[in-house]
Amino acid sequence: MTTPTTDDSTPAPTGERRTWLRDHSELGVCVLLLALGVLVLTDALTMDVDITQRGPVGPKTVPVVVGAGLLVIAALLAVDVLRGGRGQAETGEDVDLSEPADWRTVLLLTGVFLGSAVLIEPLGFPVAGALLFWGAAFALGSRRTDRDPLIAAVVSFVTYAVFNNLLGVPLPGGPLMGVL
Amino acid sequence: MRLRTPLALLGAAVLVLVGPPLLTTGSGTETGTQIPGLRFMVPNTPGGGYDITARTAAKNAEDAGLTHGIEVFNLPGAGGTVGLSRLVSEHGNGRLAMSMGLGVVGAVRSNDAPKTLADTTPIARLTEEQDVVVVAKDSPYRTVDDLVGAWKENPGKLPVGGGSSPGGPDHLAPMLMARAAGIPPKEVNYIPFDGGGELLASILGSKVAFGVSGVGEYLDQIKSGELRLLAVTGPKRVAGLDAPTLQEAGYDVSFTNWRGIVAPPGLTDAERTKLIGLVEELHDSGEWRESMKRNGWDDAFLTGEKFGAFLDAEDKRVVSVLKELGL
Amino acid sequence: MNALNSLLDGFGTALTPLNLLWAAVGVLLGTAIGVLPGIGPAMAVALLLPVTYGLEPTGAFIMFAGIYYGAMFGGSTTSILLNTPGESAAVVAAMEGNPMAKSGRGAQALAAAAIGHFAGGMVGTVLLVVLAPTVADLAVDIGAPDYFAIMVLAFIAVTSVLGSSRIRGLASLLIGLTIGLVGLDQMTGQQRLTFGSLQLADGVDVVIVAVGLFAIGEALWVAAHLRRRPPDPIPVGRPWLGRADVRRTWKSWARGPFIGFPFGAIPAGGAEIPTFLSYVTEKRLSKHKDEWGKGAIEGVAGPESAASASAAGTLVSMLTLGLPTTAVAAVMLAAFQQYGIQPGPLLFEREPDLVWGLIASLFVGMVLLLALNLPLAPVWAKLLRIPRPYLYAGIMFFAAVGAYAVGGEVIDLVILLIIGLIGFGMRRYGLPVLPAIIGVILGPAAEQQLRRALQISDGSVTGLVDTPFSVIVYAVVVLLLAWPLVRKALPRKGART
Repeated sequence: MTTPTTDDSTPAPTGERRTWLRDHSELGVCVLLLALGVLVLTDALTMDVDITQRGPVGPKTVPVVVGAGLLVIAALLAVDVLRGGRGQAETGEDVDLSEPADWRTVLLLTGVFLGSAVLIEPLGFPVAGALLFWGAAFALGSRRTDRDPLIAAVVSFVTYAVFNNLLGVPLPGGPLMGVL
Repeated sequence: MRLRTPLALLGAAVLVLVGPPLLTTGSGTETGTQIPGLRFMVPNTPGGGYDITARTAAKNAEDAGLTHGIEVFNLPGAGGTVGLSRLVSEHGNGRLAMSMGLGVVGAVRSNDAPKTLADTTPIARLTEEQDVVVVAKDSPYRTVDDLVGAWKENPGKLPVGGGSSPGGPDHLAPMLMARAAGIPPKEVNYIPFDGGGELLASILGSKVAFGVSGVGEYLDQIKSGELRLLAVTGPKRVAGLDAPTLQEAGYDVSFTNWRGIVAPPGLTDAERTKLIGLVEELHDSGEWRESMKRNGWDDAFLTGEKFGAFLDAEDKRVVSVLKELGL
Repeated sequence: MNALNSLLDGFGTALTPLNLLWAAVGVLLGTAIGVLPGIGPAMAVALLLPVTYGLEPTGAFIMFAGIYYGAMFGGSTTSILLNTPGESAAVVAAMEGNPMAKSGRGAQALAAAAIGHFAGGMVGTVLLVVLAPTVADLAVDIGAPDYFAIMVLAFIAVTSVLGSSRIRGLASLLIGLTIGLVGLDQMTGQQRLTFGSLQLADGVDVVIVAVGLFAIGEALWVAAHLRRRPPDPIPVGRPWLGRADVRRTWKSWARGPFIGFPFGAIPAGGAEIPTFLSYVTEKRLSKHKDEWGKGAIEGVAGPESAASASAAGTLVSMLTLGLPTTAVAAVMLAAFQQYGIQPGPLLFEREPDLVWGLIASLFVGMVLLLALNLPLAPVWAKLLRIPRPYLYAGIMFFAAVGAYAVGGEVIDLVILLIIGLIGFGMRRYGLPVLPAIIGVILGPAAEQQLRRALQISDGSVTGLVDTPFSVIVYAVVVLLLAWPLVRKALPRKGART
């Protein structure tokens, strides 16, 4: 067994520690898996199982197995990462891994999605949908302000019409529904 | 270019704001039974029992010219309690109704839902359907007494299949039957299936000792002899089926599954009367009669306060059974 | 042969101009609606039920069959092109189909799917005609212990899709299993991981998980690493399947039905498990293992063929037993009842014209579907040439519509986003997405069958192995597990006598 570089013994300069953390950011995945495992186990063990259970396998059994599995896999992954194992980030046609991740875009996209979700009820589906489409296109780098809003509005409105009027799946129409 | 951006924004805003209202057909007048903009919520998925009841009722009401443009929509989840919560939150909305039934009563209790049917305005009970107790054609049990005799001896060895999750109609029926036969409901080995269809395979293949589900699901299998009908659970025999009621067989159980309509709380008397009036007209229409016959539904019409009292009684019965089970 | 005569009569019914028209309308409507996000075949049939109110029963059911098959195909189209499966049976199609589409082979992927559907449907329907009574009897004999044995086999098969790092693959599988736990326990109604929320009581729909992990996760991942230089245009390639493609896929098309059909006939949760089993089978048998995950055409052809054949199997149980094995079948059963017709053992005697007309129209519908979709494949594939910002904005928009339209609950959108963020994290740290999806599909099914089997045997563990079928399946499992050891023990190039 190879011992990992002993950072802890010598007080490393902050810069070096930061690099170590960045190199080992996958440990965050282990922490999340660990937390998930604890959550699943807690939920399972606090479940009050009464007499409705019949047979040796009750509602707790599978969650306990899954939760324990999560703890084990979190530990194994941590060992793997400390030994130098790294998950291979996914590649793809539109993906350029040579540059650092662009967190601004991700945050913007997430925000646009959440914002639209919140606005569906008060402003109606067509408005929220158009904002989602335009916002997403904007976040991804489209700056044609003379064209994008129109495309977004048409896509959203046509979708609304198809679902609401042709299929009979009602979607909220917006604040003007009762007024006009 | 400088002008085109504001123009595009304006065009987009007009389309998404003004477009949807223009798509809806003009609102009708509120005369007679007409309730313009009435929405009918179905608390389970398209194709399920409440869905078919709601869509049939809506279509019949329109065909009979009682009201126009009823919008049926689905809000499935947790045995109907998600839909129920939404209904209760629409306080005072006289243009909303929900299709429901005994299953929702059970789901409220077994899920410990925050809103119960006592929070709604009861409108009407429409239809009912008996449950049947069936076994495979090569089963050793020929009568209810055969079955109950063996069941009493070893409840665990006789798994019972039902088409609903714990708390649902097909769960309650065998529990009531067990109680009447002197078997503690806790000892009943009940196996839930995802609807009567999935259960059917297990009865036919003798995987379960017997099955309990709606009579409509198995009419044909009973008539063709694939399933042997031991008893029906309701108060009277089903026409065309050669089987006693459980009461006739000596077990004091009277159980039928029913479906009805409830509305949000906080309605004015006028709004409530209007909804009940609409349902009464629907019930008297030839279209609805025809639909009931075609779907094999039994008439169980009961409106307003009487329906409310009935809901209350059903709720108490469900609670008493579930309590014995320790749920 | 009696069935053959009846079938010929059925063609007489199906090929009248009016019924031909209903079949065509059904196929068109089904495809158009199946393409819409969030609407799978069950929803499509349920929503179009009112359209058929005016028709006489035969015409109505011919149209339903068209909608059913059409919607299944439409679902695969969005799965392949946009990575947003519209229904669970189409989830597998996205795994190889979408990478193909990204690398400019969208038309080929769609064509492989279309022909797969055609082949699966044809073989499945022939099996329906020939085997209907036998299969129906067998379907009834298979019980919970047998299903559970199949699930165990499926879990063993998962190991072949864990990817290059076993640990990360298993982590992904466990994440999927955890998501699968959410909701009311099916056997006792206990709440698990719902945190008291009624909206979570029915669990997280596998389609939401798939759309979240695939589409939203992908869109976020691309957003983080979008190529800032102008992207290479997606190579157009030839619009048709080349000879090399056909040589690779014909066996997959042929194998699919034999996996899909039996699963359709038994109540084991629809087309998800057979499509997945077909996927791993094709992967195991493929000569181009390096292409898997990057767009292996067999991975589209086999599962699609299996999905289509499973639809035919579904009809066997529904028509002969009145046994709905999937959501679509349940909706169609309800539709039958609307016409006062009860599918079941007496249907073939009572309504021979309707049944055989319906079966014949399946063949007709399949031909129409192929004729419609093969030429359309290159046209659909052009969809991917729209600029990247619009493409990914559109994917996010459609994913959101799909999640929202069905239930009308904002919380579904939040769940979708959370799963999308998980998908993003998984891409960042090299956790393969596929095992998570498999976990969501297999976990709840396996648990339910296990517990059902144990309840039927009243808690005795022998109840898991008391059928010949389950014993055979476990034997296969043992062989599969032992095979690598056995092979090592054998001398290389064993001396054959």
